[in-house]
Amino acid sequence: MSVDGKRILLKVEKISKYFGSVTALQDVSFPVYENEIVGLVGDNGAGKSTLIKILSGNFLPDSGNIYFNGQSIKFNDPLDARKVGIETVYQDLSICDNLDASSNLFIGREIYKKVFGLGVLNIAEMKKRTQKILSDVGIKIPSVDEKVQYLSGGQRQAISLGRFLAWGEKLILLDEPTAALGVRETRKVLDLIKRTKEERKEASIILISHNLQQIFEIVDRIVVLRHGQVIGIRKKIETNTDEIVSLITGAIFVNQDKGNK
Amino acid sequence: MVLLFAFSVGIEGFFSIDNYINIIYHSVFIGILAIAETYVLISGNLDLSIESVAACSAIMSVWLCSTSQYASGLLLQTWIGFLAIVAIGVSVGFFNAFFVVKLKINAFLVTLSSYIFVRAIAIWITGGYGMSGLPESFRFIDKTKFLDIPLMVFLMFILYIFFEFVLKRSRFGRHIYILGGNENAARNFGINTNKLLYKVFVLSGVVSAFAGWLMAARANGAVASMGRNYLFEALTAVVIGGVSLTGGEGSLIGVFAGALILSSIHSALNITAMSPFITNAIQGFLIIIAVSLDSLKRMFK
Repeated sequence: MSVDGKRILLKVEKISKYFGSVTALQDVSFPVYENEIVGLVGDNGAGKSTLIKILSGNFLPDSGNIYFNGQSIKFNDPLDARKVGIETVYQDLSICDNLDASSNLFIGREIYKKVFGLGVLNIAEMKKRTQKILSDVGIKIPSVDEKVQYLSGGQRQAISLGRFLAWGEKLILLDEPTAALGVRETRKVLDLIKRTKEERKEASIILISHNLQQIFEIVDRIVVLRHGQVIGIRKKIETNTDEIVSLITGAIFVNQDKGNK
Repeated sequence: MVLLFAFSVGIEGFFSIDNYINIIYHSVFIGILAIAETYVLISGNLDLSIESVAACSAIMSVWLCSTSQYASGLLLQTWIGFLAIVAIGVSVGFFNAFFVVKLKINAFLVTLSSYIFVRAIAIWITGGYGMSGLPESFRFIDKTKFLDIPLMVFLMFILYIFFEFVLKRSRFGRHIYILGGNENAARNFGINTNKLLYKVFVLSGVVSAFAGWLMAARANGAVASMGRNYLFEALTAVVIGGVSLTGGEGSLIGVFAGALILSSIHSALNITAMSPFITNAIQGFLIIIAVSLDSLKRMFK
């Protein structure tokens, strides 16, 4: 049950989620192995973002189990997920326009120093680390003191990606990280994802993208969602774009476990 | 904002230090209420109840502590009166936050409700009579002077420095900016936004109640109509001070300048014995000028 003898990091088992009478996810199951990149694909409304939001702790599933490092887990809020090393890059970037880059990078993870026994924000330290993190991302920002409001789409995305680079220790969830980017910036982001996989042997990545070319370039396996169900799981090397497109659009309906053995 | 401040200094240039101290002395209540409103606005909400909380706290503290025939007759110690008004601030803040957080009602509506009933309850309990005759220990806060400068002036500076520091350098303050800037981001990164809102509204209530307590000390008593219109004066100071009504923007340094500008206008017009209606007209125009300048600045950036 493993790819090249790798350990299972995350196991999603029969997850279902309903919004009123709408079924967003139904009996979704798939594993994520250690140090692999899983592409999550499907048409609009297939349930990709819902699934990501369950894994990131934003939603509780209505039924089913999630095992992380072999243990059954339940995330009541995003903080629980962050604590075990799951970092999410949200589609909306989750950026505060009214704050500078460093404040944005450190949302919910502010650094303090003790002054007379009270925790005071260590702004200098956060700025210093921001410089380092952003230079690792490889997208330049004119000034870390400037409000994010005045930055370009790519620069804003860099901040969002900086968060996973800094804190995504175990599992990184990327919800369309290149949607708002130009060609050159997209290239950089893809390289960054590949580099992260090589450098962090402990970490795995789930990537949502509509761009199959991207998916085929960087992922190891592909999970296809359709109408809230897993319609197919494929190893990249055993499939091709045509088959994945057919799965996404429902042109073929085949057994689900092919890539899972 | 800097421009506005310079503009005000230009007009009041002939003023002496004494007059400046006087201006600050007269801006204390509005100034402190503006601190409360600033916190709530930066978090992306609104608190209309600040004026009524101040009035309620002034009336109740006098009712509990004064020797007036219309007072409760309890003649409580000043510090017990003080604890009572803190309790008023906490309760109203809690009330506001509860309906905003639990029932997801717009803060405008919730605090409009408390704006109306909080003062009314105080008047109902006390019968609405004017009361005076506070003990010396109560009046101490107003009567004391250091180097010929009233204690309240120092108090205003201390409060502004303290609350500006909290806003800019503490996790609480930073989280208020995050909440006001992008509530989703705040949630996504594990900030307990509900708890934060409770803290913000309770802080606003307590700070407003404290302003009311100072009002009572200065007036040596309380009347039912105490602090009428302070809400709009405070809102004016806050808006002139560059705080955004949509949340996430602003600092207390600007608000301090805003409060002083308002007080300066009052003072200048008093000295020149102009009609009080002019004051209101100028104040009205000042808001649109300040907001337009801010908007233009954004457009050209």
